[in-house]
Amino acid sequence: VVHATPRRAASQRAVRASSAVALTGPLPDRPDDAARDVAGGLSLRALLVVFLKAGFAWGGGLGILAVLEDELVRRHRVLTEDEFLAMYGVGRIVPSGTMTALAVAFGHRLGGWPGTVVALLALSLPAFVLVAILTAGYATLRGGALLEVLPVTILPAAVALVVLAGARLGRRYMKLTGELLIVVGAFAGSLLLGINPAVLLLLGGVTSMGLARWRRGRAPA
Amino acid sequence: MTLLALVGVVLAFNLMTFGNGPVMIPLLQHELVDTRRVLTLDQLLYAFAIARATPGPANMYVAAIGYFLHGLPGAILTMLALILPGYLMVPFVRVYDRLRDRESVGAFVGGLTAASVGVIFAAIIGMARSSLTEVASWLVFGLALALLAVPRVPALAAVALAALAGLGLRSLGA
Repeated sequence: VVHATPRRAASQRAVRASSAVALTGPLPDRPDDAARDVAGGLSLRALLVVFLKAGFAWGGGLGILAVLEDELVRRHRVLTEDEFLAMYGVGRIVPSGTMTALAVAFGHRLGGWPGTVVALLALSLPAFVLVAILTAGYATLRGGALLEVLPVTILPAAVALVVLAGARLGRRYMKLTGELLIVVGAFAGSLLLGINPAVLLLLGGVTSMGLARWRRGRAPA
Repeated sequence: MTLLALVGVVLAFNLMTFGNGPVMIPLLQHELVDTRRVLTLDQLLYAFAIARATPGPANMYVAAIGYFLHGLPGAILTMLALILPGYLMVPFVRVYDRLRDRESVGAFVGGLTAASVGVIFAAIIGMARSSLTEVASWLVFGLALALLAVPRVPALAAVALAALAGLGLRSLGA
């Protein structure tokens, strides 16, 4: 009852947002996942569960991204892949941790202001508690057995999870378009030249605007 | 170093690096280890290692630094300095929602999204480089990927099985 209003507002927003995608999808030559059935908001309890799962994900930001994509896009279907990636892009150019920014954005969209608090705390508290305990035990745990086995257990498994999520998100760009050029350019710029990702994302956006203008200029009147 | 000064440093570095956790490390090392000498390099490395070893956001090592310098209140306040700037997303998303119907904004966000995918793949390569450091970790990675590719195998089960296999390999001396 307490969160009925923000939830309704959030679901109305989500419906409006998804219809906006359906009407004006920015890149219409891509597979159209906007047409998929996308529901409105999430209950605070569901948000709590989703973000706790993300908070217990291994592999840092990419591990969290993999869980959120799986939960919000595929399982609950409250966001399209387009919206999810667009939010990730906006989150990267906001000057704060990207996953924290995403927790605020998704929490707000799906559960209003209470949703932001639930999502942020559920995402951060598991790591915070574990890190605080391990820091308190600094002297006794240094060089402990746990840190020994991580490179052959959880860490490689987390890399596998992240590779899978990356493949799912990148699938739609695997054909020769201007967008593929931007994907490859950003990849090379980050990996080979070490350019700050926020700069690469802004460059990608500007390039895409140029491409759109060029396409319009060439289109028959 | 006072708690307030520490929170200020974390807040400034967090905003300056666009939340890029690892990029904050050299800045914090310069400020806290080399210049102010309030933290040892060992402590900084330990903080980074345990934040990577535990699940959740990897930039939580900042809370460990807060704990080293000011106990639990230090940990809590540095964590807040880490996560509260996330609220900048609300005005950003609001502006984006208002403008998304314009063609140029649609094109801009489309390019932003495409570049995100490239940046994600670059980050995956970086992650693989730092995590897959021995033959056994590559074997565990391959096994986890194969299990995850099988439809209807829950992700948790695939991860658990692969991790168990890794423990087995380690006990065999691989």
